[in-house]
Amino acid sequence: MMSVPALETPRLLLRAPGPGDFAPLAAFYASPRSRFVGGPASADQTWRMLAGEIGHWSLRGFGRWAVQERATGATAGIVGLWYPHDWPEPEIGWDLFDGFQGRGFATEAARAARDHAYDTLGWTTAISLVADGNDASAAVAGRLGARPDGRFRHERFGEMTIYRHPGPDARKGDA
Amino acid sequence: MPTANIPVLETRRLILRGPEPQDYPDFKATFTSYRARFMGGPLNPYEAWMLYAAEIGHWAIRGYGMWMIHDRISDATYGMAGGWKPAGWPEAELAWVIWPDAQGRGIALEAAHAVRGYFYRNGWQGMVSYLDPKNLDSIRLAERLGAIKDHAAPSVDGNDAVYRHPSPAQLDGTQLAHGIEMEIGHYTDPLFKPKGWALD
Repeated sequence: MMSVPALETPRLLLRAPGPGDFAPLAAFYASPRSRFVGGPASADQTWRMLAGEIGHWSLRGFGRWAVQERATGATAGIVGLWYPHDWPEPEIGWDLFDGFQGRGFATEAARAARDHAYDTLGWTTAISLVADGNDASAAVAGRLGARPDGRFRHERFGEMTIYRHPGPDARKGDA
Repeated sequence: MPTANIPVLETRRLILRGPEPQDYPDFKATFTSYRARFMGGPLNPYEAWMLYAAEIGHWAIRGYGMWMIHDRISDATYGMAGGWKPAGWPEAELAWVIWPDAQGRGIALEAAHAVRGYFYRNGWQGMVSYLDPKNLDSIRLAERLGAIKDHAAPSVDGNDAVYRHPSPAQLDGTQLAHGIEMEIGHYTDPLFKPKGWALD
């Protein structure tokens, strides 16, 4: 397994997901907040998802970070670069846990992840998938300057809109 | 445990390494097929990829996990074997899966015996295998490994049978251990065939 680079933003630390993230992740997947990202799911299912998040890094060389609020040390969500088999393109994804919404954390973490994708990994474009009805996530995509660019249907996650992010050169101008 | 730190195990015919990205197509072929019916499958491609990623993450979370079984000479993959304990498993399982076209050559026996020996050398005092009652090939393999059905032990979901493996002491210089070694030896010797010609 490769080592996972840590990213810092003004309020957040993006670090490798690990066993200590199981409890907050299980709480998220037990809650209705997970309904747009394949949940609700049992604790046993969530354990495998966490293992999958970790293994994603080894298989792709990138993945999603556990997002830690620097002020409190609490795990606020899982955000990062996601490209499982059968995905339309590499994606920037964000799952924010209960109690951390409404403060711009998803946007702040996703922006850091996107910068890493463009500046370190050399991505030339990026998408985000937003399930139908997930208005909060669509708003994050909009704040990042991403615009609808097609549809994708997944047998587990349902109908989703593909949001296309501004490219490496255009991103400075996003909202 | 980082995957790069996963120990490499060598046996007479096999080399066992951590799961690597280039091995995924072989894994997918089996787990999206009917062959996976006793392991929660067949899976769709997304589920298969995420399970493969989880096999790697299992090592990071538990410090042990499943190895990819390779031919020592050709490096071809034959399946996986190792220790498996996702959430919900009452005990650490000695688990194995053999690709369909590699069965019948004692590969699972040789690999499972090697990984069990590795865990026992590292202080483990026992293992179990959770097997579907209809998975006769794997039940027979568990028995060849000396495991005995444990009717009292909790199973994963009530539909699987628990086979308890012999303890380290029961495998230390015993007739059981010699029998396992002898059967593996027969598979590796082209002039002999093991009695019973068991499937796995």
